[in-house]
Formats: sequence, C-alpha cells, structure tokens
Amino acid sequence: MQEIVSTLHPLERKLLPFLKNNIGFQELQELSKMQEVEVMRALQWMENKNILKIKTDSKIIINLGEFGKKYQKEKLPERRLLEQLKENKLILSEINIPKEELNIAIGELKKKAAINLGKEVEITEQGKKLLTKEFLEEKLIKTLPKELKDLTDEEKLAYENLKKRKDIILTEEIKTRTITLTELGKKLTKEKLDLDLIETLTPKIIQDKSWENKQFRKYDIKTTVPRTYCGKRQPYMQFLNKIKFKLVQLGFKEMSGPLIETEFFNFDVLFQPQDHPARTWTDTYHLKNPTLGKLPDDLVVNRVKHAHENGGRTGSTGWGYKWNPEIAKQLMPRAHTTAVSARRMVKGIEVPSKYFCIAKCYRPDVLDATHLIEFNQMEGIVTDPSISFATLLGMLKHFAIEIAGAEEVKFFPDYYPFTEPSVQISAKHPQLGWIELGGAGIFRPEITQTLGIDTPVMAWGFGIDRLAMFKLGIKDIRYLFSQDLKWLREARMN
Amino acid sequence: MPTIDISLKDLSKLVGKEITLENFEPEALLWIKGEIDGIDGDNLKIDCKESNRPDLWSTEGIARAVSPFYTKERGIRKYKVEDSDVYLHVDRSVDKIRPYISAAIIEDITITDDLIKQLIQIQEKVTTTFGRKRKAAAIGIYDFDKMTPPITYKAFKPTELKFIPLGFTKEMTLKDILIHHPKGQEFAHLLTDFDKYPIVIDNKDIVASMPPVINSESTGKVTEKTKNLFIEVTGINLDDTQVALNIVVCALADRGGKIKTVLVDYGEKHLRTPDFTPKRIKVKFTEIEKITGMKFSLKELKDLLEKQQYEVKKAKDCLEVEYPSYRQDIMHPVDVIEDILISYGYNKVTPILANLATTGELSPIEEFCEEIRELIPGFGAQELLNFTLTNKEILFKKMNLKEENCVEIANPVSNKWTNLRNAIIPSLMDFLEHNTSQEYPQQVYEVGDIVIINDRAETKTDTRKHLAWALADKEANFTKAKQIITYILTGLNIDFQIEEESNDSFITGRCARIIANKKVLGYFGEIHPKVLQNFSIEFPICALELDITELFILKK
Repeated sequence: MQEIVSTLHPLERKLLPFLKNNIGFQELQELSKMQEVEVMRALQWMENKNILKIKTDSKIIINLGEFGKKYQKEKLPERRLLEQLKENKLILSEINIPKEELNIAIGELKKKAAINLGKEVEITEQGKKLLTKEFLEEKLIKTLPKELKDLTDEEKLAYENLKKRKDIILTEEIKTRTITLTELGKKLTKEKLDLDLIETLTPKIIQDKSWENKQFRKYDIKTTVPRTYCGKRQPYMQFLNKIKFKLVQLGFKEMSGPLIETEFFNFDVLFQPQDHPARTWTDTYHLKNPTLGKLPDDLVVNRVKHAHENGGRTGSTGWGYKWNPEIAKQLMPRAHTTAVSARRMVKGIEVPSKYFCIAKCYRPDVLDATHLIEFNQMEGIVTDPSISFATLLGMLKHFAIEIAGAEEVKFFPDYYPFTEPSVQISAKHPQLGWIELGGAGIFRPEITQTLGIDTPVMAWGFGIDRLAMFKLGIKDIRYLFSQDLKWLREARMN
Repeated sequence: MPTIDISLKDLSKLVGKEITLENFEPEALLWIKGEIDGIDGDNLKIDCKESNRPDLWSTEGIARAVSPFYTKERGIRKYKVEDSDVYLHVDRSVDKIRPYISAAIIEDITITDDLIKQLIQIQEKVTTTFGRKRKAAAIGIYDFDKMTPPITYKAFKPTELKFIPLGFTKEMTLKDILIHHPKGQEFAHLLTDFDKYPIVIDNKDIVASMPPVINSESTGKVTEKTKNLFIEVTGINLDDTQVALNIVVCALADRGGKIKTVLVDYGEKHLRTPDFTPKRIKVKFTEIEKITGMKFSLKELKDLLEKQQYEVKKAKDCLEVEYPSYRQDIMHPVDVIEDILISYGYNKVTPILANLATTGELSPIEEFCEEIRELIPGFGAQELLNFTLTNKEILFKKMNLKEENCVEIANPVSNKWTNLRNAIIPSLMDFLEHNTSQEYPQQVYEVGDIVIINDRAETKTDTRKHLAWALADKEANFTKAKQIITYILTGLNIDFQIEEESNDSFITGRCARIIANKKVLGYFGEIHPKVLQNFSIEFPICALELDITELFILKK
C-alpha cells in the first residue's frame, strides 16, 4: 500500500480525498476545484494503476432551441392563426402573423385538416374542435427538457414533427463519466496521504539539504512519454559520404564542376557530334535563361573543332561535318558527370592520377517511382601509362568488391560515345543477385589526344541509386530526395 | 539505342543454323552489343546499344554479324553485283536542297511477310537514328516494274507538280502534300526553307517520290506480288547515302535478291552504285598490345578479326585490314581493337590490378560543407536533400518576393520543375508545407547547391553552396536563428556584423543580414505570416540562409 502511495503524482494526491464510489466527473471537478484536464489526467493515471475504473455513459437530451423557448411563452404560430380564424374568414393580408411564421402555420393547420384554403382562409369543423384542445407539439414543448428514451409514443410523434422545423428542438448527446473504485481504490481512500514526498529535485533542495529526511515520490517508469526527434543526417547523404570516403581511401581526388554547363563540356569535348540524337531536346534539358555561355581559349576550341571535322592529329577520320561554335556555347543543366571529367581533363591532369565525383545531373524524365529528373551519378577517371583493357577490368573488379560488396563480376561489350573499348560491368551482390553496376571504357583518342593527354585515360561510372535504395530499404527512388519528414525521422541504414 | 524486332526462326533461316535463346543470348548476342528487351514466343526485342552500327538494325544485319559464331563463314561477305544500263540523272536544281542520291536495283526477290516487316524496320531505324530523322538519309523503295528508266532526280516548285501520295487517292500539289499528308506534316520542316522540292521522277513523268517525305501511290507500294525493286537513298552527304543504300541492298541480297547497279549521273562525274569496295584501315601492333594489355600472335589476330568480318591484307609494320562498305563506325584504330576484344571475349581477359601511387582527397569546398553539415544536427535539426529544380511560384510568389533573374529551363517536363533554385529557404518551406500533419517542432536544414546568374561567368551562372535552416515551432523566433548563426560564425572565428535587412519574406524589423569583410554572408529572421499562409503552415518559422561558398573564401 505504501508502495502505491509513494508513486502518486501530486495531481492524483490532490484528487484522492474527494473520490468515492459512483461519483460523477462533474461533481468531482467541482469538489476538488481542479481543472478539467487535471482531473482527467489524474483519473487516467489511477485507472492505469488499477485504483479505479472510469465508466462512460451517453444520454440523448431533447431541449428547446431558440424558437422553442419563444413558443414556450408565446404560443405556436399555428395556434395564433387558428384563434384569429375563430370568428372570421380572412384573406392572407389580413392575418396578423409575421410572414416567416405564416407559411408554417398554414402548412401545419392544413396537415391537421383544421383549415380550408381558398381566396380566403376558413376554419373547418375539425379546426373548431381543436380550438379547445392542446396540440401534441404544445404538450411536448411544455415538458422539455427530457431524455429521448423517456418520450411517450405521442411525444415521439410531436418530436419528429418539431425536429423538422427551424430551431425549435435541440438534440444533444451528453456524456457522463462515473467513477467506480476498485478494492485497492477503496483501501487507498482510507489511507493517510500526507506523506511529505519530494516531487521535483530543485537546486534549493540540494543547497538546503532538505532531501536528507525525505523520500522522493516514485515515478511510474513504465508510462509512455511524448516522442522526441533528435537532429540527424539525411540517409542518402550518409550513404553517399560513405562511398566518397571509400573512394578517397582508394586514392581518388574529388573533382567538381558547375551545374549549368556549356554544350562544349557536356558534349563537344567528349566527341559527341553536334547532330547526334542524344543532344536533342527529348534527351536533355536546354535553357531559356541564360542561353549562351563562353568557350575556353581558342587553342582548345580549335583542336576540338578539328577532332570533330577531320580527326585533327589524333589519327581519326572525325565525323566529317562542319563544327559550329555557336552550338557549343549553348547552356544546359549538366546531363552527365562525364562533363565534370571533361572539365578536369581540359584543366590538365597529373600522371598517374585518379579523380572522382558524385554529382548531380539532370534529364527530362517523368518523375516516378523508378525515374528521377535530377539524380546523382558517380564517375571516376584514371590515367597512367599502364592503363589498358586488362587493367581497366582489374580496377572495375576491385571497385565492384570494395564499393558494391560484389562477390563475382561479369563484363559485357557496350557502347558509350566517349569510350572505345567500352564495357558494362555486372556484379553478383550477396542479397540483390546479379545487378548492372555501371559502364566503363578508355576515352577515345579524339578526346584525350585533342586535350594534349598522351597517356590512356580510363573512365568509369557506377549507378549508385540502386545500391542506395537497397541499403536504405526503399522501393521508390523518390525517397532518396524524400519530402517525408516522418520517414526521415525514423529512417535507419540497413 | 534502337530496339529491333526479330524472330528466332527467321534468324535461324538466314544463318542456316538452328538458333535458340539458349545458344544466342549468352555469347552471340554480345557480339552485336545487344540486350534482350522483351520475349514473346519466338519473337525477340533486342536493344542494340551501338548507335553507330545501322548495319545491325535488322534481322538480316544481325544474322550476318553473328554468322561466323555459328558457321565457318569468315571475313567480308561477298555479293554478286551486275551492272544494269539504268541511268539516274541528277539535275543541278537539287544541289542546294538535298544534293546526293545513291540507287540500286534488286531483281527476282520473293517478297514475304518477314521481308516486308524487316524492310519497314530497316527504313525506320536507319533513317531515324543514323539518318538523323531523314535529314541525313532517307530511303525510298519502289516497284521497279512500274517505272520507266531513265530516272531523274530534280527539284520542282511547290505548285508546279502534282502526284498521289502513298495511302491517298487524289492528286495533290507538292505544297498541299506537305500541308495535308501526315508524313508531309511530320517532315515538312526539312523542305519548307527551300523554294523548290526534290522529286524522283521517271521517263514517263510518273513521280516516284518526294524525298525525304513520301513515296507516290503509283510506284511506291511494295506488295507480295512485287518482283523487282528500285531503291534510292537521298541525303546531304554522299557517304551516308551509300552506307544506307548498302545496308538495304545487302539485306535484300541476303534474302535471295539479285543486285544490279545504277549509273548516277551528276553531270561532270558519274558514279556506279551500290559500291561494295571494302574500306581499309591500318592498326599498329604496338597499339593493339597497349590498349588490350595482351600479346596476340598474328594468327590469333587474323582469326579474331575474320570472325568479326574483317580481312587482313598486309601485316608488316602494322596490320592493314579491310572491312565491309556498310560499316561507318570505324573512325580510328581503337574501333578495330575493340572488335578484336569482343571477338576474343571480354570475360576471357584476365583482369590486372594496377597499383598506382596516388593520394585521395575530398574537394576542399565539399569538405568544408561536410563540416557544416555535421554541426547542425547538434541543434536538433534533421538534414534534408531537396531537388535543385523548382519553380517561380515557390521561389518568389509564395515567398512574397519580386521575381528575380534566375535559371529557367526551356523544355521542362512539368510546370513544377521549371527553374533552378537561387536560395534554399524556399525548398525548406516547400518541404515543411508537405509535412504539416507531422509532429512539431520541425527543425530542418540543407547544405546544397544553388545557381545564380552571373553575366561575367563562363557559364553565365555561378553554382554556389548554401546552408539553409528553419525551425517551425510555437516558440520559433529571431533569437533562435541568431543563436545558430552566432554559434556557427564564432566557431569558425569569423568577425561579423548584423544589420537590419528588408526582405519581404520576413517580418519587418525581425530580419537581419550578416556582414563579414564587407561581404553579405546571408540573412535570417522570422518568416512573415503572409508567407506562412502561402505555404499553408500554421506555426511560426524562423529561418536562415548562409552563403557557404563566400564563407569558405573568407575562411581561406
């Protein structure tokens, strides 16, 4: 018993002396002079502690509305009309009843066959009888308020009738709560509660050492507490960070470039002919504002122009068309990370070197569960005199194991406009099975030699979204850029 | 790139060996860089990834390329070609419009259902991708028995000539065909810049076609009764027309047609087409070894190349090889070297792990962003990653701001994604609007990219890193935002001043800008209730926006 007493919250303590069997909520509130919400909380806690039970009943009470109250004093409009017709037939304009009540009065009396309606309104025999008899509606109005279940059959008829009229009747559901004490509760109400327990430990209590002779109130440690959310990182960002650090460990330097690019870096440097279908509006975004950027220095531009037109000094035939610098100046949101590699190579690269980027790209797709309009690509370039197809495969296999946790890899011939030879890599993931991991190749000499790079440059790109979706346990790719706060708050890495 | 429909039965017939999914998909399919995109019984959809090999975009082309995998066929396939006495006169009037035409005659062909399907497929795929939507190459195929040579290729005025376009019943002027015929409407833009339109017409003045738009009803219809075909390809570059013509002619010859040439008369010069003279390229042995990373004997190389339909002509200092006339993807020796590797098999190559002495590092600005990103959750904020694509409604109208010059997409897929953001607070507001049913307080932040217009920049824009933070809570106020700004900036040892800022997104007198070294670093304050109402948010919000790129420069 003392055990329970020591866990009681001050509100429970305050309410306990007023508790008795079958006491109503209202009464309890009045007696204790506590606020409604305080009484409710204290009762619920005590119910959890099996001190009492809260019984909720609901009653339907029929009461008078605004007009109902008026008619309780003034008589119903149909009564007033009937009385005016007692002596004379009247035409409508002679009747002394406000317009808004007149129609109802006529309607009601017609229903009761008390009047005839011609040019004039005339009382019937039935009507005359009713002059001395109370209407059911009048009877009911006198007796209200009343509980719905207590109505007689006649009253019910009158109730249904009056309910249809404006603001005469008000039907209310009233909930009443009554408290029943359990055996424990009954004992508890007899208990002495004036134990001097410490509620909140304050600096003052510590300073004056008043805690030394007192007990602390025990908390109900199992009670649920309001949820709190701490600040944390976005799950997809965390995933990308992990991959970034892995790449840095593997000796890669991060490279970057602008989100808005000239077609020169997005396509021309990469030896994509200017009339190539991949450069059309259906495959890439174009800009309305701003529209044209600037080209780098003439030396680079001229060498790129020659590479396209006749291969320049690269030993290639080129595409055999007239290259147009105005097309190369057009601006667009970057369509692939290879534009970042292109920028890096134009700036010049060390030998040997490894560069990477995980960067945003844009493509005019429809946003749905499997497509994003804005997404991250991961790409790397590696140069060294020793780069060959065999070392390319060696490095890809190594990445597949390090980055994607692959168990086995397979290579397929593929086509990318910028690389020759080109290869697609598939990896066997312990959980996902065989997945297409990405593509790679050795940059065409029309690209590297044009930029004055004499060593072969291998380029690779991995699709990281699918891996991210697996790690984050999501089926809808849009969750990588989630607008769902609940999901972000609760998301965990797999 | 293009997706090709083929039937395995048809493919087997053309190769002369039983081909099933089991003996096709694992290896032979890789030779053509194909991937199966759909299977419907015997019919396959093949995704041909190589966008520079129009010769592979038909069952006949695929059959020819994989034939050495199943049979003893090696090297370049030889076709028997006879010369005809048919002339094709090219009038100088087409010079500025569509100057080149190459043509051929196919005799004694049995037109089957499969063939008609493939002819339609070749025409469509070759002219769409390789032909740049008919601009660079358009193919016309006619019932030759309905034509009377010599044939003339000549330009006419839009109302000077009438003919019945394919699928129609009435004669129409050239002009009307471009206006009313569906194909006319689709391809009119290729002609309407000119005052005359090119026409292929026979000696009896019967129109065969108006390239690159439409054939005539009278000769341009091929049915199962057709025996002999006339084929022409028009374009703006002679090579392209010849490559496309050879692709069609080889496909028909593979199905038993007899090839006859046509003499194309350009006035000062004459050309006999089709011309099957193989093309030639030199590849250095050292280059093969360097790129593949492997040593091959000459015999091995010869064998690998012949399987890929090359023929080795000389092998002294370098390898001199010939390849079929219809291939136009070989621009550089590396293209041949890739074919050697495909012939060898990618998965037979032993991967070598090269050990390169390089040191890795993050880009300094990214590293700095990461430091900031790690700092903010300590205040209880949830990190977000929002799209940089947004719209003017969110950036300006709902933020109660006047429209500013910002990056705008010319071809947006939806009016939700029309602009690149120039600040991050609007992204946070949009996010908070989506989450009004979630528990408050809601505290969020993002460090990410924004793009502003800069006329002096190479790309007329600057991509910058910003931090934005927002707190939606009944107790959100100016003080909370200022505490965070102060914590970040003093932590970075930045000397800064706060000045009053007038910004219509914020409550007047409760918005400040942050100044350091005479540069504006950002702004913060209490969001105006009008803005809250625009985003349907019923909690006070305090927010800040900080230019991390500027801060980074300052820090350096």
